[in-house]
Amino acid sequence: MTGAIEAESLSKSFGETKSVDGITFRVEESEIYGFLGSNGAGKSTTMMMLTTLLRPTSGSARVAGFDVVREASRVRSHIGFVQQENAVDEYLTGRENLALQAKLSRVERSDAKVRIDELLDTIGLADRQHDAAVTYSGGMKKRLDIACGLLHRPSVLFLDEPTVGLDIQTRRRIWESIRRMHREHGMTVFLSTHYMEEADELCDRVCIIDEGKIRAVGRPGEMKGRMGRDVITMEAGGSARRLADRMGTMRGVKSVDVRGDSVTAYVQDGAGMMPAIFGEADSLGVTIRAVSMSKPSMDDVYISYTGHQIREHGPEPRRRKRGI
Amino acid sequence: MSFGPDVYAIFWREMKRYRKSKSGVLIRLIQPAVWIIVVGNTFAGTKPLIQAAGFDGEYIEFMAAGVIVLTAIFTSIFGGVNTLWDRRYGFMNKALVSPISRSSLALGKMLAISTVSVLQASLIIGISLAIGVQFSDYAMIVPIMAVVLLFSLGFSGISVMVAATAKSQEAFWGIINFLGMPLFMISPALFPLELLPEWLASLAKLNPATYTILMVREMMTGVPSGVPAALSLGILGAFVAVVVVVAGWTFTRDVNRPF
Ligand SMILES: Nc1ncnc2c1ncn2[C@@H]1O[C@H](COP(=O)(O)OP(=O)(O)OP(=O)(O)O)[C@@H](O)[C@H]1O
Ligand SMILES: [Mg+2]
Repeated sequence: MTGAIEAESLSKSFGETKSVDGITFRVEESEIYGFLGSNGAGKSTTMMMLTTLLRPTSGSARVAGFDVVREASRVRSHIGFVQQENAVDEYLTGRENLALQAKLSRVERSDAKVRIDELLDTIGLADRQHDAAVTYSGGMKKRLDIACGLLHRPSVLFLDEPTVGLDIQTRRRIWESIRRMHREHGMTVFLSTHYMEEADELCDRVCIIDEGKIRAVGRPGEMKGRMGRDVITMEAGGSARRLADRMGTMRGVKSVDVRGDSVTAYVQDGAGMMPAIFGEADSLGVTIRAVSMSKPSMDDVYISYTGHQIREHGPEPRRRKRGI
Repeated sequence: MSFGPDVYAIFWREMKRYRKSKSGVLIRLIQPAVWIIVVGNTFAGTKPLIQAAGFDGEYIEFMAAGVIVLTAIFTSIFGGVNTLWDRRYGFMNKALVSPISRSSLALGKMLAISTVSVLQASLIIGISLAIGVQFSDYAMIVPIMAVVLLFSLGFSGISVMVAATAKSQEAFWGIINFLGMPLFMISPALFPLELLPEWLASLAKLNPATYTILMVREMMTGVPSGVPAALSLGILGAFVAVVVVVAGWTFTRDVNRPF
């Protein structure tokens, strides 16, 4: 069985910088696979290689069973790509944008009409379909752009940061659309994101990429599981370090982290351990001023693999490859 | 083969965009309208000069053909600019990951630009008629349009090629302005080649616009241009064929090369 995407030591350098540094991974058919990484991690560069827009510096990749360099045109007839920057043609109406996509991807005229009607419904744009896209809000444009990526029923759909810059309601709507279309058509989805929540919400498997390298791959649930079931955060003033060291020796504690005055512990059974932790703190003479308990998030996972926190509101992603 | 429908897909999109930018149509008409009205009348007194060079008619009738081709030159050589926007705003990538070939992308754009060029040129013919320019045979308007279309295909090819490969907007405008003006000036658009200094006249003979102007003028006025129409058409056809091939090839090779 070949996977929907198979990358083998895939690399891309721009001059001196290695943007993607020998990544190997495999995405199964019908899977929703997420690339999670911060700005500049190499997500878009990887996508552009997989969608035949960039030639790898070394290594190889197959998409839908075809080599992205040697069989580029066959790859193109099996994929849909929704770029990070919106590519809706603002001069055209919503409907015309979809019609254009149908023509570009050689969808039969009669099929196109039915599908366009369906998609306009799914993305909730039926009533605005005859307005020029320039009059749409950012979220509407993004939904239209995603619909364009789906119109021709690609067997592999690439979504590069599908919800970046959108508010939470709009993001939820887009997630719902993606899930629904995945349920109906069963295509493979390869998406990139720097929202933990999004990876957690949508993906069957998540791949953490940082500085062009893969740090970890796993099911979101499993990844969180590896972190223990609960996260306990305690304010311990100047004694945080000492408390952390002691906790590190306790049974049931998976790992401990100190940030400033607070100690974060990943534990198996938070509620059950609480008394023991307070006991240890007492015996050290450390006062715990505040305590909170939560479930580990993908954020915690990301930090534990890359050693730094993801910058949700980090620098604006630079303009795409073209220098114009 | 789906080359035809693929080219049409791009052509369809470009024409939709053109139809939605109505103000552009008028703006692009201003320059040639000024040429024909102002320059046509300013130089009306040069009638004896052009008569001596073998053209028996009013100056404005002489230069109307030049202005029609001027319109075609500038409409088509600037026409590629939207390829720059496409590279910048994502449409290019969208088209490049679709199954259609790079050469149909280039050709669709060239055909659309040429069609717009013909539309603009026909408006200029309208203006010429309105200000009293007479045609020896009005049936000639159709072949004139055909020649303008052919010519525009060549120049739009140059434009699309430059836009697809330019490393920046400035580079595009630099090259296009460097090409546009001389192609118009070094030609018999405003004065007969016989009146140009020898070296300029020789340069003009290398310019495909020259042959186009000669053909269009002959068809408009009925006055023989001195170069047989078949020869002019052959030269123009060869030029366009070369450009179409080179543009298709360049586009395929370079359009998504990162820099
Ligand atoms: N055309 C290019 N020329 C030079 N460097 C580039 C080019 N494209 C990308 N890079 C570099 O490659 C690295 C990875 O960029 P990439 O766009 O793949 O990141 P990303 O993970 O998509 O980030 P973001 O979340 O900001 O979109 C960055 O350091 C970037 O500067
Ligand atoms: Mg990116």
